[in-house]
Amino acid sequence: MPGDDIDRMLVSVLQSRFKSITEEMGLTLLRTTRSPILCEARDFVTGLYDHRGRMLEQTEYIPILAFALQPVCRYIIEYFGDEIYPGDVIMHNDVFTGGNQNADVAVFKPVFHGDELIAWAACKGHQADIGGAVAGGYNPEAREVWQEALRIPPVKIYERGRLRRDVWDLIFANIRFPIVEEDIRAHIGGCVVGERGMKQLAEKYGASVLRRHIEYLFDSTEEMMRREIRKIPDGIYHGESIMYYDGIREGSEFKIKLSVTVKRDSIHFDYSGTDPQTPGFANAPYSSTVSALVLTFLMLVDPNIPHNDGLLRPISISIPEGSFLNARFPAATTFGNTIANPHSDAIFKALSQALPERVTAGWNRMLGCSISGHDPRRGRHWTDILFIALKGGSGATAGVDGYDHIGLINCAGGILAQDYEMFEVYNPLFLLRHEYARDSAGPGEYRGGLGVETEFIIEGEDTTCVTFGDGVDEGAFGLFGGQSGALNRLVLTYPDGRQYIPRSKEIVRSIPRGTHYYQLAGGGGGYGDPARRQRRKVLQELKEGLISPEQARDVYKL
Amino acid sequence: MAYSIGIDVGGTFTDFLLADAYGNFTVYKVSTTPHNPSEGVFDGLAAMAADKGLSLEQFIGRVEIIVHGTTVTTNAVLTGSGAKTALLTTEGFRDALQMRRGIREEQYNNRYLAPPPLVPRDRCCPVKERVTVSGEVLTELEVKSFKENLQFLKEEQVEAIAVCFLHAYANDGNEKKAKTLIRKYLPGVYLTISSELLPQVRFYDRLSTTVLNSYVGPILQDYLENLARRLDDSGFQGVLLIMQSNGGVTSPRDASRNAACTLLSGPSAGPVAGIAYADTHKFPDCITIDMGGTSFDVALVKERRPLVITDGSINRYRSSVPMVAIHTIGAGGGSIGWIDDMGLLRMGPQSAGAIPGPACYRRGGNEPTCTDANLLLGYLNKDYFLGGKMPLDFKAAWEAIGEKLARPLGIEEIDVAAGMFSIINANMADGIREVSVRKGFDPREFPLVVAGGAGPIHAGMIALELEIPTILIPRESSIFCAAGMLLSDLRHDYVRSLNTLLSHLPAGDLAAIQELFKAMKEEGHRQLLAEGIRAENIEHTFSGDMRYLGQYHEINVCFTEEEIMIGDMAQVCRRFHHDHDRLYGYSLEGEGAAVELVNLRVSSLGITDKPRFRNCCLAGDGGAALRGRRPVYLPDRKDFRDVDVWDGDRLPQGTKLNGPAIIEQVNTTIFVPPQYELELDEFGNFIMQLGGAACARG
Repeated sequence: MPGDDIDRMLVSVLQSRFKSITEEMGLTLLRTTRSPILCEARDFVTGLYDHRGRMLEQTEYIPILAFALQPVCRYIIEYFGDEIYPGDVIMHNDVFTGGNQNADVAVFKPVFHGDELIAWAACKGHQADIGGAVAGGYNPEAREVWQEALRIPPVKIYERGRLRRDVWDLIFANIRFPIVEEDIRAHIGGCVVGERGMKQLAEKYGASVLRRHIEYLFDSTEEMMRREIRKIPDGIYHGESIMYYDGIREGSEFKIKLSVTVKRDSIHFDYSGTDPQTPGFANAPYSSTVSALVLTFLMLVDPNIPHNDGLLRPISISIPEGSFLNARFPAATTFGNTIANPHSDAIFKALSQALPERVTAGWNRMLGCSISGHDPRRGRHWTDILFIALKGGSGATAGVDGYDHIGLINCAGGILAQDYEMFEVYNPLFLLRHEYARDSAGPGEYRGGLGVETEFIIEGEDTTCVTFGDGVDEGAFGLFGGQSGALNRLVLTYPDGRQYIPRSKEIVRSIPRGTHYYQLAGGGGGYGDPARRQRRKVLQELKEGLISPEQARDVYKL
Repeated sequence: MAYSIGIDVGGTFTDFLLADAYGNFTVYKVSTTPHNPSEGVFDGLAAMAADKGLSLEQFIGRVEIIVHGTTVTTNAVLTGSGAKTALLTTEGFRDALQMRRGIREEQYNNRYLAPPPLVPRDRCCPVKERVTVSGEVLTELEVKSFKENLQFLKEEQVEAIAVCFLHAYANDGNEKKAKTLIRKYLPGVYLTISSELLPQVRFYDRLSTTVLNSYVGPILQDYLENLARRLDDSGFQGVLLIMQSNGGVTSPRDASRNAACTLLSGPSAGPVAGIAYADTHKFPDCITIDMGGTSFDVALVKERRPLVITDGSINRYRSSVPMVAIHTIGAGGGSIGWIDDMGLLRMGPQSAGAIPGPACYRRGGNEPTCTDANLLLGYLNKDYFLGGKMPLDFKAAWEAIGEKLARPLGIEEIDVAAGMFSIINANMADGIREVSVRKGFDPREFPLVVAGGAGPIHAGMIALELEIPTILIPRESSIFCAAGMLLSDLRHDYVRSLNTLLSHLPAGDLAAIQELFKAMKEEGHRQLLAEGIRAENIEHTFSGDMRYLGQYHEINVCFTEEEIMIGDMAQVCRRFHHDHDRLYGYSLEGEGAAVELVNLRVSSLGITDKPRFRNCCLAGDGGAALRGRRPVYLPDRKDFRDVDVWDGDRLPQGTKLNGPAIIEQVNTTIFVPPQYELELDEFGNFIMQLGGAACARG
């Protein structure tokens, strides 16, 4: 029960205000950044943290980045100690001090009310480049972190409101594209918007009222989460899944071993027995693994629980150091975010025993491609991540088909396919086709989400494609009689007619102008026996060409 | 005597505000006739004529202006009952409409579904054609296969077609060709061409808006043609104007062509009216609520301006034409009470509407509705609904609630009615939270301006739940949006693309800017003169969409006429830097960053003569207004108590009453909860204060 000094209406006003401040910060980034990865695809997050670095709210266009902001904020507070001043701006990307991926660069700004540190505003986005051996950050050939990126442990780029030009220049001297400099300015702008919002709240209600109500907000959120966990039957649940190919050893497999222990109102995730890290880049730093776990688990509880520190309190996690889910320094880890795919499979499989109605079948595992080269129209270097081509279908669940063209689970539909016209405005690529792929959805009483096919002609010169993904060996798994979704497939057809199928993690260099690019992003897994699917739905999808007559007859038994 | 009339066709009632040249307002209300809404319009006009002792023709001949808001387009989208529509789009991209760029609005909700398609996949037809990003026609529209598509659509008997080709904003050649062919082979079909409706880059936004326009266009066009014909036949010589989603009005011809601009035609007048009423008490901000028979609309006004957006959506389909930000939920007098799978009582969003209507209307409805509950609880007077013109059947309401809810639940009828009342109030309070709390505004800081026939019964309890201290109930609350329409100005928005560097303006581009502004201004001027606006009442505002070179989203920045005339673009750039800093926390003025101009815009306003609020001169003995006492259910006591019932039309100005009380007017009933005090202000509007506290800032 709240004490006399708690105004419950104010708690919900504050919670919503935090949410809307982070949304305003997000809008700022969306409107002012220049790299298409940010302003078109929304590959960024914004957040507010209290004076101790505890999460107040976040806007999670891409959740995998989001749950890695809080540990960094805490690290920064510890690192700078008393030397945090009004007007400071701190930059960070280092995966060995709380970051989730080198290319995901965060900017933090402390918020002061008078002399008192009351909060932090942060923006974090996927940058077009962050130094390292290849443009764009994805480097399947990397064997240690220095080949992947410029490491940025916490560093002040502004101190007491003054730009530290030497530090700024040092950083940007090591990054290929000037656009990143502009985009980091936009991140700082986002933080200023967050700072203004928090200052207004402190002026309006006073810092101590604010603090008291924030504590109450944390406690009540924790209680909501505990209530959800109490609904899961007590027990120990096991799940396993495999990540395929580390970019080095042909046919290599890496197993995730998970046991989930539910005890009354707390839940423990233990990854003992998970395979050791690889010498390549297919490792996850700790933060990235925790983020993937949290975002998957949030899909299994009430979606209306606010996202703040209270949410995380009932969850404990143990990931063996040196496993590929918690790689030891100085491992290469750029692929880490993508491991959310096999990781969520293991979680859904484990909890399918306890929550059969809530888990989904497997989601299409992303096959990403970072593309870069020379743009002859503008006479300059360009780079993009082909979000348009990588968004497959989600897994079906009890009573509901999977979501079509949603994309990787660690974004959960928050990241957008590029608008076709903007795609061609930005990139020297000529789109031929972008449509749902027939028979791509995993059949089931409830089918998986549909995948898509993308085709374009490369009109740039000296193009490089870096693939980073999975889902070419095993389709998204079906549940309770449902079948797998279609596999991913990527085919380059050179102007001379020669075809090349890149591996799931590979750098393909010197792709000539005129090359045809084809990608199928596969579908999600089905749920339940396809023969039991409503005939009306099967007929409709047959008529619309989403399934073939063969699949209708042989699989759906029409 | 010359008249102007605001007409708002809602889901259940059609509302009218009749204003004469002296500023006298009269309210009319008739049942909506959903099969043909213009019948209801004429029922109302006939009633006005009768009151004035004139024939319909004599009366209509004296009407100078009719401003009309309609929900026909909104309802078509919400109920999925739009025209049978087809989409013709560039081959290879037929799924873009349904894909919605792959967004799932609720990221953590695995049971969340995409909205049902406006056009099924088999009517999304691929067209062989291609324009490049630089505006070159790479592939001319292939006529043979295009004609085959048209043949298929003819066989399918489609009523409307949307054409949206890739990069048509840069070169509309192929879309023009498609238009010619469609006009030739399918002459009767309603047609929207993307480059005419919204000539701007971003395929999905343009596509979705174009399809929405075709989906609702035939319905609006038929309706307006029918209405205009009937008005003409009745001797109407004035101006008919249609309320648009942007809070301004336009001609019927323009509205029919740009039907997507009317998707919020009715509700968008609400905030306009709210601003005027709040202003009488010097409130710059307010929350307007409008509870009709079917839906509940909420909008938030900050500093006398409703929020206008160009990235709105209807039923989760993007609409990129300007619209006032309004939140709508399915709650109204006709909302039906039902029992869910868990055995819990629920209200709406299904509504009995006007026909068959609530059980107590005795029009064939037998579902228990909110209005039936209000009758059982004593808030409504069975003998004084619509001033007694429509007696309510208490027994029918009792039986509907008994049979459908009370007996299955095993609860007394009165307790069920009380539950229905509190559930629908909670739903509406949530709707208010959506525009306030969830946008970071504290609802307690906003007076609640209440509209809709059913609104004032519920407003007190809703406000109490949100701790809102001040409630303003306009005398014309039952026809609030109709009043807003008479208070709206004519508005036409124009846009032209001009891509140049404003900060480093190349020779000749200043002349181009001046020319384009001049051309748009003249177009707006001509249009408004043709609509009967005198030159001295025409205003133009000038603006441009700008960004830093390399950004891809723009800010709208205003130009003054003087800056355009003398070519002071440096001043405009400074304003851009300043706005960028205010909105986004930084500016690059110091770095000397280049400022790019993308579009020029002119908004032409025709300031209409608005009816003024007159001081209400009701005086005399308040006691005479006391009608008596009747048992009314008080939610706090969970029981009935005898409560004073007042005749709101006879209460003198300055009257103060403590709750609990009931105020009856012809078209609306106010329930004053015990916690509130009610006062009648000098304009005849009611103001309710929590705990009698004087919170008005005036």
